[in-house]
This record gives sequence, structure tokens and C-alpha cells, in this order.
Amino acid sequence: MLTIGQVARKYSISRSTLIYYDRIGVLSPSGRSDSNYRLYSERDLKTMDRIMLFRSAGLSLDAIASLLDIEGGDLNSAFEHRLSSINNEIQGLRNQQKVILKLLENESSALNSRVLTKDTWVSILKGAGLDEAGMKNWHIEFEKTSPEAHQDFLESIGIEQGEIESIRQWSRQV
Amino acid sequence: MSNEVMNKEKWVLLFREIGLDEATMKRWHREFENRYPDGHQSFLEWLNIPHQEIVKIRAL
Repeated sequence: MLTIGQVARKYSISRSTLIYYDRIGVLSPSGRSDSNYRLYSERDLKTMDRIMLFRSAGLSLDAIASLLDIEGGDLNSAFEHRLSSINNEIQGLRNQQKVILKLLENESSALNSRVLTKDTWVSILKGAGLDEAGMKNWHIEFEKTSPEAHQDFLESIGIEQGEIESIRQWSRQV
Repeated sequence: MSNEVMNKEKWVLLFREIGLDEATMKRWHREFENRYPDGHQSFLEWLNIPHQEIVKIRAL
């Protein structure tokens, strides 16, 4: 027979957990010492093994209590029940993940909208009534009056170095 | 960024050179503000325009 302290150590749980199990009837030790301390038998420890197994599967103490009397087949239905609740939890977490990703996405696109891209520029220049020829002239003038700023500008809207070179080249040639 | 500074005057000059008049530039700002308000702000900041003036331009 093992004392409550020995059982607690054996399963790395607290004495108060064992006292609680006793109180709710999940596991009541079969013996008492002369001074009325709880004593656990081999059979109690077997039950304790099952309790720990069910606990690590995430079953509630209520479910564990009702399972301890049952053997075999009904265990399956308890685990199926647990499985479906795990699935629900996963689904819930997935939904949270989606919401958070969405929030992060909005945040970063809000930041990105501060950065102008080539397409943005082309569309607002078009909006101002500038046609292809007008935009070409704009590059030509830009290159003529402020070549370095032209380079900076093209870099700032995310154009590749190769394309920048070709834009500046034809801007100079005209 | 290079040492060569792009500023409002140079930018306006550039637009004039290619034939944009005052009215068109105004329309351009309005377009810019309508479609890309944050980009408009960044652009005006990039030209080193003082905050007060940026507010005025964006309200055009």
C-alpha cells in the first residue's frame, strides 16, 4: 500500500489533486492507516494509470469518472466524442488564425499604400490627362533637369535597375 | 537617395515643361488625393513641402 505522498510523487501530481479525486469519487483509496491516512492499493494504482491516460487524452473528470467503470467498446465512443471536440477546437483556432492573418494583411497593405508603385504613377499621370507621349516627355525633362533625382524617383517606385537604365537611356537620346 | 534634391519648384517646372498648366496640375492633385490619399501625402513629403502647405494642397 502506498501513502498519498508516495502516489503523488509517482505520478508527479499534487496531493490536493488526489484528495480532490477522492472527494468527487474518481478515485477513492481502498485503505486507511491506523491514523486514518489514505492508503492506495495495487488496484487503486491501476485505476490511477487509466486516469492519467484519459487525462492526457484531454478527457474531462466527469467523462473519466464514467469511463472508469466501463471496459472496451464504450471507450471508443468517449474517444470519438473527444476527437470531435478536438476537431471543433482546431476549427476555432483556424478561424482565429484567419482573422489574425486578415488583420495583419490589412495592416501591411495600409503601409504599402503609402508607397507609390509604377502602376500608381502611370494611372495618376494618365488621370491628369498625360498620354504616352506626355509621359515620355516627362522622363526626358526629368532626366535633363535632374538626372540623379530621376534615378532616385524611379528607384523609389520599385522599378528594377535594368528598366531604370533603359528608361534613362532613351530619355537622354531624344 | 542622392544629394540632388527634388523639390516642389523643380517638380512644377518639370510639369510645365511637358505642357501641364495650372488647371491640369490641380486636377492631378485631386486625382491623386481621390485615389491614393496616403501616396499623395508621401509624395508631398518627399518633395519636402511644409506640413501646412501639404494640408492645403490635399484640400484642393
